[in-house]
Amino acid sequence: MPKRTDIKTILVIGSGPIVIGQACEFDYSGAQACKVLKQDGYRVVLVNSNPATIMTDPELVDRTYVEPITAEFVEQVIEKERPDALLPTLGGQTGLNTAVELARSGVLEKYGVEMIGCDLAAIERGEDRKLFNDCMAELGIETARSGYAYSVEDALAIVEELGYPVVLRPSFTLGGAGGGIAHTEEELVTIVSQGVELSPAGEVLVEESIEGWKEFEMEVMRDKAGNGIIVCSIENLDPMGIHTGDSITVAPAQTLSDVEYQRMRVASLAILEKIGVETGGSNVQFAVNPENGRMIVIEMNPRVSRSSALASKATGFPIAKAAAKLAVGYTLDEIVNDITKATPACFEPSIDYCVVKVPRFAFEKFQGTDDTLSTRMKAVGEIMSIGRTFEEALGKALRSLENGREGFGADKETAPERAVADGEEFYQLVARPTADRIFYLAEALRRGWTVAQLHEATGIDEFFLSRMADMVTIQENLRGRRLEELDADALRLCKRYGLSDAQIARLTGSDEATVRTCRKMLGVVPAFKTVDTCAAEFASSTAYHYKTYDAAETEVAPKTRKRAMILGAGPNRIGQGIEFDYCCVHASYALAEAGFETIMVNCNPETVSTDYDTSDKLFFEPLTFEDVMDIIDVEQPDGVVVTLGGQTPLKLAKPLANAGVPIMGTSPEAIDLAEDRDRFSAILDELNITYPAAGMASTFEEACIVADQIGFPLLVRPSYVLGGRGMGIVYDGAQLEKYMAEAARITPDHPVYLDRFLEGAVEVDLDALCDGEEVYVGGILEHIEMAGIHSGDSACCTPPFALSEAVQDQLRSIARRLALRLGVVGLINIQFAIKDQVIYIIEANPRASRTVPFVSKATGVSLAKAAARIMAGEKIAQLNLPPDDRRLDHFSVKEAVMPFGRFPGADTVLGPEMKSTGEVMGIARNFPSAFAKTQLAISYRLPEAGKVFVSVCDRDKRAIISLVRDIRRMGFEIVSTAGTARTLEAAGIDCAVVRKVSEGTPNVRDMIANGEICLMVNTPFGHATRSDGYELRTEAVKHGITQVTNLAGAQAMVAGMEAARDHRLNVVALQDLPQW
Amino acid sequence: MSEVSKQLLQGTTKQNPMPAALMLEDGTYFAGTRCGATGEVYGEICFNTSLEGYLEVLTDPSYAGQIVTMTYPQIGNYGVSLDDVQSASPALSGLVVRDMCAHPSNWRSGLSLPEFLKMKGIVALEGIDTRALVRHVRDNGAMRAVLSTEDVSPESLLAKVRASAQLVGENHVQRVSCDEPRAVGPADLPEGHKFAVTESEPGRYKVVAYDCGAKESILQNLVRCGCDLTVVPWDTPAEEVLAMNPDGVFLSNGPGDPEAVDGTYTQVEKLLGQVPIFGICLGHQMISKASGADIEKLKYGHRGGNHPVMNLRTGRVEITAQNHGFGLVWPTLGNLIPNLSGGFKNHQPDLRFWARAKVAPVVDNPRFGRIQLTHVNLNDGTPEGIAFLDIPAFSVQYHPEASPGPTDAHYLFTAFTRLMDGREDYLDIDIAKDRLAGWNFSSEAKGVQNA
Repeated sequence: MPKRTDIKTILVIGSGPIVIGQACEFDYSGAQACKVLKQDGYRVVLVNSNPATIMTDPELVDRTYVEPITAEFVEQVIEKERPDALLPTLGGQTGLNTAVELARSGVLEKYGVEMIGCDLAAIERGEDRKLFNDCMAELGIETARSGYAYSVEDALAIVEELGYPVVLRPSFTLGGAGGGIAHTEEELVTIVSQGVELSPAGEVLVEESIEGWKEFEMEVMRDKAGNGIIVCSIENLDPMGIHTGDSITVAPAQTLSDVEYQRMRVASLAILEKIGVETGGSNVQFAVNPENGRMIVIEMNPRVSRSSALASKATGFPIAKAAAKLAVGYTLDEIVNDITKATPACFEPSIDYCVVKVPRFAFEKFQGTDDTLSTRMKAVGEIMSIGRTFEEALGKALRSLENGREGFGADKETAPERAVADGEEFYQLVARPTADRIFYLAEALRRGWTVAQLHEATGIDEFFLSRMADMVTIQENLRGRRLEELDADALRLCKRYGLSDAQIARLTGSDEATVRTCRKMLGVVPAFKTVDTCAAEFASSTAYHYKTYDAAETEVAPKTRKRAMILGAGPNRIGQGIEFDYCCVHASYALAEAGFETIMVNCNPETVSTDYDTSDKLFFEPLTFEDVMDIIDVEQPDGVVVTLGGQTPLKLAKPLANAGVPIMGTSPEAIDLAEDRDRFSAILDELNITYPAAGMASTFEEACIVADQIGFPLLVRPSYVLGGRGMGIVYDGAQLEKYMAEAARITPDHPVYLDRFLEGAVEVDLDALCDGEEVYVGGILEHIEMAGIHSGDSACCTPPFALSEAVQDQLRSIARRLALRLGVVGLINIQFAIKDQVIYIIEANPRASRTVPFVSKATGVSLAKAAARIMAGEKIAQLNLPPDDRRLDHFSVKEAVMPFGRFPGADTVLGPEMKSTGEVMGIARNFPSAFAKTQLAISYRLPEAGKVFVSVCDRDKRAIISLVRDIRRMGFEIVSTAGTARTLEAAGIDCAVVRKVSEGTPNVRDMIANGEICLMVNTPFGHATRSDGYELRTEAVKHGITQVTNLAGAQAMVAGMEAARDHRLNVVALQDLPQW
Repeated sequence: MSEVSKQLLQGTTKQNPMPAALMLEDGTYFAGTRCGATGEVYGEICFNTSLEGYLEVLTDPSYAGQIVTMTYPQIGNYGVSLDDVQSASPALSGLVVRDMCAHPSNWRSGLSLPEFLKMKGIVALEGIDTRALVRHVRDNGAMRAVLSTEDVSPESLLAKVRASAQLVGENHVQRVSCDEPRAVGPADLPEGHKFAVTESEPGRYKVVAYDCGAKESILQNLVRCGCDLTVVPWDTPAEEVLAMNPDGVFLSNGPGDPEAVDGTYTQVEKLLGQVPIFGICLGHQMISKASGADIEKLKYGHRGGNHPVMNLRTGRVEITAQNHGFGLVWPTLGNLIPNLSGGFKNHQPDLRFWARAKVAPVVDNPRFGRIQLTHVNLNDGTPEGIAFLDIPAFSVQYHPEASPGPTDAHYLFTAFTRLMDGREDYLDIDIAKDRLAGWNFSSEAKGVQNA
């Protein structure tokens, strides 16, 4: 059946900001879908509030709305664009929920919009546990025994029948938010009472526990002719009880016999039919009792999911692309397999390698929260690795995480697991699922635990444990031998068991460079194989490669033209997110246009960069020196781009340059010039640019000397980190001592920087291009929050809303001088602080910053593309850019999205250490309206009426008065604690006094819990985390109440609320703004 | 393997590695280690792309005379459950894998795969770059090979393999067929599959099955559909079969060159038109031969569990299990009948033409009248199934019993029963509904749904 011709315009809803449980995999799938729909001649309209996405690039679709993904805004878009159809299955849960809301409220009917891919009834059957369970019962497929609770009492009654432990799942929440396992009544009461509130439907599913069972996922596709295929099966290494997003997973399924696998396959296809997924991809999760094979279906998602992105990357089968084609009427047999270009997409990929996915966590950012993994997802990113065996893939995976590990086992003497003595604590660290548990498994094996013991403690299948045991046994057999003892055969054996050069070096008392030299001398070099969807049965024309030590034959094509290699950003983590992937993708496009054969290296399966058709060649490999050099050895690129993927590739710049690799753009020497404080300060002095007094120290004693010289407060941070990891503000000697001890633990090899902290300063980010002769300022971003809050966490606005033209000119001038002096070729990001009319430079990074995509969208100039062209030798003058001091008549605001809801117990106060996972953008004629849009994009609604709780620190008491007056004027009631109330009453503002938590009940916490408070303004001072304010802030997170923890943010919020109230916020398409 | 390597492997699941090697007749040589029985075996090198189901593959009698390479690298992961074997004594010559698992994990597993291989005397090799081997076979075609644990010298192995027998023209069927007729019924269904499949239907049809090397799962599927089976040797005379007065005759899969199996196809020619007939794989080729068609040898065959096949009568695509190195040359069955073939007068070089046209073409066969092309392989346009329109018979090249592989084509067993019922529309079955038949998804524990 050919494509439908009765629809012309298709609306695609994206997934909004990167949050835990919904990351850039939906940009990957959405971008794929938009591309393919456009190729098929449809007019595509997109709504997505996340500017850092490829899908929101204005050239990708016809009409791009970077607007909040709420029913109101999407309705406005529908009204304006009049789409014929809505494709709801590619924007994650957010997209699906919004589509459901539009369908239920009659908006789709009103405007005659047809939902394609999956209709409302099917979504409801898939998402609503009751309907889902009924469907399964009709099919005779088992689900976990369960019941629904609408209150704690309900839950207790159900548990009477099921017994503890039980799994609790609030309905319709993202990534299983609010769920958990209750082993006791106390735990049950806590989780259920929260869950009932979190669930839009106010219900919580109480289920028999199948903790410890084996968990599997099937990625299924179906077309409207009824053809169904399984794209990929996935087996979780971690048993049931851990969210699949937090589990280490392996593809294909490893421990199912054919009869078990086929039974699961048939069940998956039947479930899709029963739920009514007419076309597209779905994911079905199963639990299998390892004792008797009893199979239970856990859930299905009637949409493209995180797992389908993984399955696409694992097999080479483009699920999202196919899903989009199927939605407009094609059948699977009419779609050509993109990889082979000769066979149809209607088949089940066969793979001849093993894929391992490992989640990346960020618990270190959220002190005070429990780091046990559970049914509620907490991972902020993930990596995938490909090897010919599980061993090879696991080794690669664990050195891809960007957490200092070099593989599975054979770790540094200083690794935390080495420090824990045998005993109960060690046992718990092995048994309890945590981010680092995998490393404790290696350590336990090293200490002689048997596979059976480990299985007993962890529930992990013996198949995996036995493979790991072999890896560790080989490591321990190697330990203490000299490198010279190893012949080619033995070295190859080590590599085949997943050992990195660094691990071999440690075990043999050598160093990585020597191991590499030795290895290459002995001819132990890897081969590169191809991901081809068919296990080599057919020839394939797509260059999607991975490295292995099955080295009889390598499959990379010989070089025919100049090659550029782009090093990607690795796993998403806080401080390094999708923005860098965006830059890498743009560089790839630009370099391809410039005539290069482009080569992408990355290990993040969620991204667009690791789509096999983004670059000419894709190497799915860890971003370590060893792995990258192995690729360089065979590909011989003419240039390597290291400045667009954030800190991960940047730290490879020097070693690569030392190895003789041509680095494109800014030289490693110039990078070092900016990174090295002393050299950088010397340059600033030379250029007469002001910077905060600063010093450097490796010990507490040295730090005290620096502090004496420049005075408190101090901004302190370790060198060579991104996202403000380990950064803090210290106000006195005691705090400084504590900090120095902590820093020594995080980066023992690097000194700590101490800067004079400019309290109350206005911060500004500036992104610029430089070609060595000319500088082009892409954008000036005025921060809303004052200095002291990490730039990644603070909202910002471009063009600046309160900086004079004169100041902006000065900023541009400083940027020009600095970029030229440093010798930047490509992008540079400069952070300024302005205090008392003085402009200080805080830092300069000669690389892409996380604001590049936002600035590009705000100004219509694609900075990353321009940077790549400059790196390839073009001059700014050739790029036809608009004047960089032109006036824009719209304001764009970027706001950070915080994951506090996922980390109960972690404080919500913003500081110099970055904590946000993603960002949204709001565009409007004025700053408050743009700001209001960002708030709507994050929380889906603004406070409209009710009580506002105000409690501020003494420093802010004077400034709060006018703000509260504005809040009162909008009709809100004010509630505040005694101190703040006195200030307000003195200023003649009515307010009710409420007790602090420490003053007994009833107090403000009860008001929050009762839902009386609609907005909380609470500014703390200093570091008193366990204070009253901390309790309130965490309580507000629990109940989803909008809160602001600093004065500048509160001012913007109030202005935004007023703007939203007074006039409708209109939607605007990027295509209606100037694009260059 | 070097001494240091052996020392490094001490204490792992692969300690004490013993050398083994594979030599192809074109001189391509792979050295690895032994992971099954010892010995030296000859056969045609081929590969199978199924991700799981290694036990079903290596016990499939159709692999007689072949050395099978599994494309998935790690084999043996879930061990061996004897309930899954396709014949009591494996007929393949040897097995080649990238990595053999000695510490399997699955609740049904009774022994590890290396133990099974040793028990059954199957020579096996691991530790080689199987992807390179597969690509070599893909590009250069199937060829003779020797697998040895006794001699790893390239020179002498090459001499030996070049002196070994060719697969073409050799009759492997007589080796794997049964010697005496035997009855197969519900009592023969494996106990260990009950967790996953339902009980069989009561025997309603008397079916004679020619055993050319039949897989157990085919017989089990027939029994589950209600067939009381008498399994007879490959060369049983048609008269003897007809004397049993069966409701239908089934022609099984089997190994090797169909030209060499004249003992079967000459009898099939006599049976066609006398009794409803269903053939699978070699059985399909037997029916084709009996109709006077040509059979060709494919370059490297179809072996795996992911081949898309379109049912031209319904337009539905089935994901199928395949295992064959020979295939029917469709145009040799007869001239096209244009008014039954969408108006097209000439045979098409690529049968995927019919899939795109959504037409099931019909030829006029000199011996048996009208024959319809019912199934086409979408990967390469080879014919996958035919149905006789003037006599009760149909056959498919692929494996509806799967084992291993997807069970989309299970409806063909149902179709056979409908053919025996005399239904004209015997092939028109909704595969999605039929696919669910026979599976058992639930255990004993039926609890408080929606308490």
